[in-house]
Amino acid sequence: MSMMKLALQNFKSSFKNYLAIILSLAFTILVFLNFQNLIYSDIFSGLGGKNKEYIDILIQIISFVLGCFMFFFLWYATNVFLTKRKREIGIYVFMGLTNQKIGRMYMIETTMIGISSMVFGIGFGILITWLFQMILLAISDITVDISFQISPTPIFVTIGIYLVMYLIFVIKGYINIVRSSVLEMVSASRQNEYVRQSSFFLLLKAVLGLGVLFLGYYFAIKEGGNEVMNHVFAAVVLVVMGVYLLFGGFIPFVFQKMAGRKEFLYQKERNLWMNNVIFRMKKNYRTYAMTCVLMLCSVTALAAGFAMKVRYESMVHFRNTYTYQILSDQAGLNKKIEALIEKDNQISYGTQASILNLDASMIDTRYQYRNYSVLSWSQIKELAKDAGMEFELEEPKDDEIIQISHLYLLSLLTDRSHETVSINGKIYRQTVDTNIPYLGYLQEQISFYMVNDEEYQKLRPFGTELYTYNYRIEDIYNFAASQDELDTIVSDTDENYTARVMIDPNSSEMEWIKVLYTVCIFVFMVFILASGSILFMKLYNDAFEEKERYQILKKLGILEKTLKKSLSRELLTAYALPFFVMMISAYFSVHALEKMMYTNLFAIYLISVAVIFGFFLICYLLSVSVYAKNAGVEK
Amino acid sequence: MNEKKVLEIKNLVKNYGTKGFHTTVLRGIDLEIRKNDFIAVMGPSGSGKTTLLNLLSTIDKPTQGMILLDGQDITRISNKELSKLRRDKIGFIFQDYNLLDTMTLQDNIALPLSLNGVSGNVCIAKARELGEMFGLKGHLEKYPYQLSGGQKQRGAACRALITDPEIIFADEPTGALDSRSSKDLLGSLKMVNDSGRATILMVTHDAFSASYAKDVYILNDGQISCRLSKGADRKEFYDRITDMQASMGGDFS
Repeated sequence: MSMMKLALQNFKSSFKNYLAIILSLAFTILVFLNFQNLIYSDIFSGLGGKNKEYIDILIQIISFVLGCFMFFFLWYATNVFLTKRKREIGIYVFMGLTNQKIGRMYMIETTMIGISSMVFGIGFGILITWLFQMILLAISDITVDISFQISPTPIFVTIGIYLVMYLIFVIKGYINIVRSSVLEMVSASRQNEYVRQSSFFLLLKAVLGLGVLFLGYYFAIKEGGNEVMNHVFAAVVLVVMGVYLLFGGFIPFVFQKMAGRKEFLYQKERNLWMNNVIFRMKKNYRTYAMTCVLMLCSVTALAAGFAMKVRYESMVHFRNTYTYQILSDQAGLNKKIEALIEKDNQISYGTQASILNLDASMIDTRYQYRNYSVLSWSQIKELAKDAGMEFELEEPKDDEIIQISHLYLLSLLTDRSHETVSINGKIYRQTVDTNIPYLGYLQEQISFYMVNDEEYQKLRPFGTELYTYNYRIEDIYNFAASQDELDTIVSDTDENYTARVMIDPNSSEMEWIKVLYTVCIFVFMVFILASGSILFMKLYNDAFEEKERYQILKKLGILEKTLKKSLSRELLTAYALPFFVMMISAYFSVHALEKMMYTNLFAIYLISVAVIFGFFLICYLLSVSVYAKNAGVEK
Repeated sequence: MNEKKVLEIKNLVKNYGTKGFHTTVLRGIDLEIRKNDFIAVMGPSGSGKTTLLNLLSTIDKPTQGMILLDGQDITRISNKELSKLRRDKIGFIFQDYNLLDTMTLQDNIALPLSLNGVSGNVCIAKARELGEMFGLKGHLEKYPYQLSGGQKQRGAACRALITDPEIIFADEPTGALDSRSSKDLLGSLKMVNDSGRATILMVTHDAFSASYAKDVYILNDGQISCRLSKGADRKEFYDRITDMQASMGGDFS
């Protein structure tokens, strides 16, 4: 029982010290709970179609990512407790406590911390579910009625997952304590030796790190066809490794070299903070690297979400090129159709073109599609003129071909040149791949290849020629009015095959992409918050270790102002280094995305970097004042 | 005795405790330290040595009396000015070295000077010169954990000297050292004092250490009970100090 008391006392006295960690843990739980709640709530079921299904998958993935994140975060947090406690626990050894007892004390104490974080996290989590859902829907631009609803299932799931993870680390800590020797425990805090790493080893790590990192960048922006997937994977692995090696090798190497140049080092506070940075770097480089990678992921996720949203919007635009599209084996239907539409609507523009439908077996390309049709160059040129679309395609030579494709939500290919297409045994070289919606929605259903007029005539005997009549009306929202009239010409007989396509601009078929974008924003914010708070926590704890050093400096008569200046430089380095490495790496990852998604993402890159900068600035300023207090520089 | 007065203490009194229940630790101390003095303050436990040093080094404030450092009354100036005074005019040597373990010995020595904004080259030159003087030439690039206690303390002495302070306060500088290291340190301190580079006030309970000083003041029960001055020979001085200790009795530790 006295053990319990002791642990409780420890917990109470260190509650303030652990507040940062408790709050961060609580925050993680809060976010996790809210995402879990989305799965179990029915706010998205109103969207219909595949939406709910996709959104659920999406949230499951995010929950998994958050779960992994929680796992590492817990690992990190419990490690902080362990090293901090191990030092004080050394004292108990001399009081005659066995390792087992000390381990048990650690377990009780850590459990208290874990439970208090859980209570905070779940409590506030429940309180903000409504707010969270509202924000989510507002940003997603989806209108669904929501009420304050939370079922017990997500709460239990969250608590369950959290407790299991927490237990793993508590037991891990217990085993660690039980197995450690007395000497090790006592000296857990006295491992300040070997401050400077061997230059050769560092240099090796530095060179390796830079090499790996640049190779990663190279893979990220390298263009390619199918191998892009492997490039992306290689880039991710190499950049992550490179970042770790950069913080473990190159950066300490540079700092040590700088500190070795004494004329440079002995400049006001530099002597003090630079030596401290070197000292801290050895202990903290993993943390810096981790936050850097975390931020890199979040910026990339945000950019990907944004790119998909932009892509989605252009897909909607693409689809709405024409309101009605009629595909028929009958020529010269245009007048008849126009008359039908104009009964209820004004035609904004109308186009027509013949397409040569070929059997899939005649065509051999790298990618197999279901439907293939060939278009002639002059007809499409005419069509573009009628619809007011740009047409800058050169007439293909006899052995050349132009692909007219549609927009993909996600494509990995960054280089589509040098493709060849074989039609009926003849090989064509693909010169251009355009996704201008000459044939609107049909381009999503059929793969179109454009050849010159002569080639078109040559291919005619091998396929079936169909005619397309495409119209866009003035008021696209009034599309339903002409439905009945148009249906009168629809026919599916041997003599007359006529089909119609009608585009509903309000279609919510792909609403889930909007949610995806919003979720990406959330993930971005969560990760940024996490990386900021990880750095903040690290520095918060470091400050206590620095107390002794700052006391010495004060005893020597060094001014408080000078000390504050020195420590603010030191902390600035701690925040700035991961930030800059992230900024450079994110440039490459976003650039890679830009190429894959054919979207300009530079603005989103700048915005996300600016957001991180702002948040880090706040963290930095907070850190400086808290650090000064914790380290005893300021009363 | 024509040298300039560095430190002048007039009727210094220090009480601890609240009204009605106070203990008087220092009962009116008068002391004058002139440039290039090397003074040791000795005394049994509880005689007020530490209190005196705390007052002199501006960590604590006296109840009564004046402390003039370089003509300035340090009991009457603002905290900001006090900090400046500590920085510019006082050097400290502590019992437990107080070197920063994150930097090399040379960086430690150069630290106070570089923090004052002195150019890098001057810092290097001075740190090396002092290091050499204190027999640390081959150790400047080492970290404190790689050095022995004596080397660390000599390093700390270099650090105290690098800003050319008006006076150096040494608080039991040999307290944690073995006799060999003590000898080295004291020899070095004596040498810088002899060469006219430093004025030293050392607090110690150790007669051997005190015998390196030029004058020894014995503090007893909050007052300076006697003053011994060195003659020509250190050994003879040492005997006189121990005789005095024996005659006074009490616990000199």
